[in-house]
Amino acid sequence: MTGLDLAAPQMQRIERDGDVVAARQIGRHLAAEIGFSRPEQALIATAISELARNIVSYAERGMISFAAVDAERRQGLRITAEDRGPGIADIHAAMTDGFSTGNSLGLGLPGTQRIMDEFDIRSAPGEGVTVTVVKWKSR
Amino acid sequence: MPVRVPILRQGRTLIASIQEDLSDSDILALQARVLEDVIRHRATGVIFDVSALDVLDSFGTRTLSDIAAAVQLRGARMVIVGIQPEVAFSMVLLGLTLADVPTALDLETGLAMLGRAA
Amino acid sequence: MDDIIASSGGRHGPPGGQIADQLRWFDITETDRRQAEALAVTADELAEQIIEDFYAHLLSFDDARRHFRSDEQIARVKKGQLKYFRELVTAALDEDYVRNRRQIGQIHERSGVTPTLYVGAYAYYLHRLGHRVMDRMQDDPGRALALLLSLIKIAHFDMAQALETYVEAREATIEQREREMSELPTPVLQLRDGLLLIPVVGTLDSYRARSLTVKLLEGIRDHRARAVVLDITGVAAVDSAVANHLIQTMTAARLMGASSVLTGLSAEVAQALVKIGVTGEALRTAGDLQHGIEMAERMLEI
Ligand SMILES: Nc1ncnc2c1ncn2[C@@H]1O[C@H](COP(=O)(O)OP(=O)(O)O)[C@@H](O)[C@H]1O
Ligand SMILES: [Mg+2]
Repeated sequence: MTGLDLAAPQMQRIERDGDVVAARQIGRHLAAEIGFSRPEQALIATAISELARNIVSYAERGMISFAAVDAERRQGLRITAEDRGPGIADIHAAMTDGFSTGNSLGLGLPGTQRIMDEFDIRSAPGEGVTVTVVKWKSR
Repeated sequence: MPVRVPILRQGRTLIASIQEDLSDSDILALQARVLEDVIRHRATGVIFDVSALDVLDSFGTRTLSDIAAAVQLRGARMVIVGIQPEVAFSMVLLGLTLADVPTALDLETGLAMLGRAA
Repeated sequence: MDDIIASSGGRHGPPGGQIADQLRWFDITETDRRQAEALAVTADELAEQIIEDFYAHLLSFDDARRHFRSDEQIARVKKGQLKYFRELVTAALDEDYVRNRRQIGQIHERSGVTPTLYVGAYAYYLHRLGHRVMDRMQDDPGRALALLLSLIKIAHFDMAQALETYVEAREATIEQREREMSELPTPVLQLRDGLLLIPVVGTLDSYRARSLTVKLLEGIRDHRARAVVLDITGVAAVDSAVANHLIQTMTAARLMGASSVLTGLSAEVAQALVKIGVTGEALRTAGDLQHGIEMAERMLEI
């Protein structure tokens, strides 16, 4: 699996739980190609897993895209998880440790924010959710 | 394609050795089989070897604690062995502490732990 | 951060690369250059006096005076300054000029000339020169103002070159220091089979704390350790962020199957840890290293 074109954005459709596995594997692979350390690769894969699962659990289907980014002499990986599901009414609550409407641990979103260097969530009820995260390679 | 995790038996200890990245439904299927096997073989100990896993996210961790709790209700003990350094690091940042499940470095240490408890 | 997420990045703000773009940003035209040049004769005549006055002003500040070791040095710097101001009115504003300005910025940064000192010197010069030019051109104040405005534009362009260099040089220095800090070695010592000692020394910023965690976890795997003593006697300041990192590290160690003991914390730190809700089970502590090691040895026997 070499020769991935890092410049071209990669996409993974998310509909079933198998897609969650595929998404985190793509993410890990891209992270390795960019030169992230093994611990960083694991962090990235974990974050993707959480975002992808949220799509399957709460929005049924969506998309995860990956792009290598470059800014101010730093290299990074940007991951965008997007869906057109019911959206989140109270983002502040959703970002709180332990808050879950799915009877699960409620750590996916706040944990992903802790894991990644940049985190942006946008949503409105009825309009789906877009989460964009970036991890920068440590120098 | 569903992944079928082998469950080995050593005396009254079951060893589920996860060899590859599992989907949520794979993990749930494994949960059901382990609990059946504990009853069928009257197991006293269960070891989950996760040394081949490079991700353990909130769902995986939650399910592992659920399995541990259910195993305990059936009178057996469960130990998770082989959590890799980078996996442990990610879990902690995510907020996953797995506080209620004993852990051990590897299969050998895990077996020793169950042996002492028996 | 929105910017970085929205685009693939690069520096933001006015174009910093192309000189033509920069000149356009400062709205400097050929006319400005000619008008500034029209001030050359006046500037030449006045420069020396202004610089004399300026140094008298400068040397009345203790901080500034400390930069100079001898009269000779002062004479040399004055000469450099004269050239600098002359170039301001006559320069071609081309690549050579920009390169030269950036070099000067670098030298300033290295020799401790602060941006305040630098910009202040400029202000002093422009102000003095401005007054004299207005005096001399009393019959045509409109033109005098036009000439001066052109010169001010060029002076700003000129300052921007030096300040950009300052920022770059500072960034490089900070980066370098961060690297040195994070490379402070954290040794992982095996005391005996299954028992590791990690003496942590220095400051624990979040970057270094993370690399410490990774190192400790890899140490556990590589040495097949079942107990770890983390000694923080040598850690400069233990605030709640550092305490949090230590707890995360010990939790991660437990996930791998190793117990850990924290030693070398002051009474205040121990108190602080209790405050953030750390219980004895998650965080074992010992008064000193010796006790910590004994405690860890007992854990190995269980
Ligand atoms: N893509 C999404 N669409 C709708 N709601 C979402 C989405 N992602 C997260 N949420 C909401 O945010 C809450 C918190 O999510 P998370 O932190 O991942 O924890 P958990 O999934 O365990 O509940 C969820 O319970 C759900 O209500
Ligand atoms: Mg979730």
